[in-house]
Amino acid sequence: MAGVREVVEVLAKALTDRPDDVRVTESQHKHVTLIELFVSPTDIGKVIGKQGRTAAALRTLASTAGEREGKQVTLEIREGR
Amino acid sequence: MTNEITRPITEFLERVITALGINASVSTEETSDGPRLNVTGDEAELLVRHRGEPLKALQHVVDMSFGRTLPDEKRVFVDALEYRKGKDIELRQMAKFLAEKARQSGLDQQLGPLNPYERRIVHMAVAEVPGVTTESVGDAFSKTVLISLRK
Repeated sequence: MAGVREVVEVLAKALTDRPDDVRVTESQHKHVTLIELFVSPTDIGKVIGKQGRTAAALRTLASTAGEREGKQVTLEIREGR
Repeated sequence: MTNEITRPITEFLERVITALGINASVSTEETSDGPRLNVTGDEAELLVRHRGEPLKALQHVVDMSFGRTLPDEKRVFVDALEYRKGKDIELRQMAKFLAEKARQSGLDQQLGPLNPYERRIVHMAVAEVPGVTTESVGDAFSKTVLISLRK
């Protein structure tokens, strides 16, 4: 399966200690595709990284995946249950 | 030995390729600095757009996810269509050119701003030119390398 959601999921599962808690949703808001990444509260630091560098990398790659489908992507990182 | 280290990373890159929906594959090459994983195939071009930003991001995710699994100073390099390899060779040539210029003119030469990885390439390339020395100047992520005549 290919798509922005899948790319973010593969990356987040590699970065986290609890990959089974990773959940990614995709929704359309006018021109913008919103990707919400939910991770375990203990993994938030892992996906954000020092000075937000990992979060920036995830946003870059989410945009790259979106570029292929002509989508403008916004990535939000959230705490899962 | 190397296979054991690179296999999980190769598999990760293959999952990323599948998720991106591009027609590409991963090849491995051994270098003196560690293994280099190169994404090949015409659609790998997606990773080198915007001055290779997606590739840099992918390297960061690999460093964060697999960095601790590597022994001592080893690092896995992620490349696509040998983009970074080409960049590295260009940077080495530029560093050596400026080192020769510093040696002949006696004037300091500056190269940068460069990230830590790029600065390392410059220091190592200039070290091969006798009579000149290098120094990183500036702060944090945007340091430049100063090439000057050895006193």
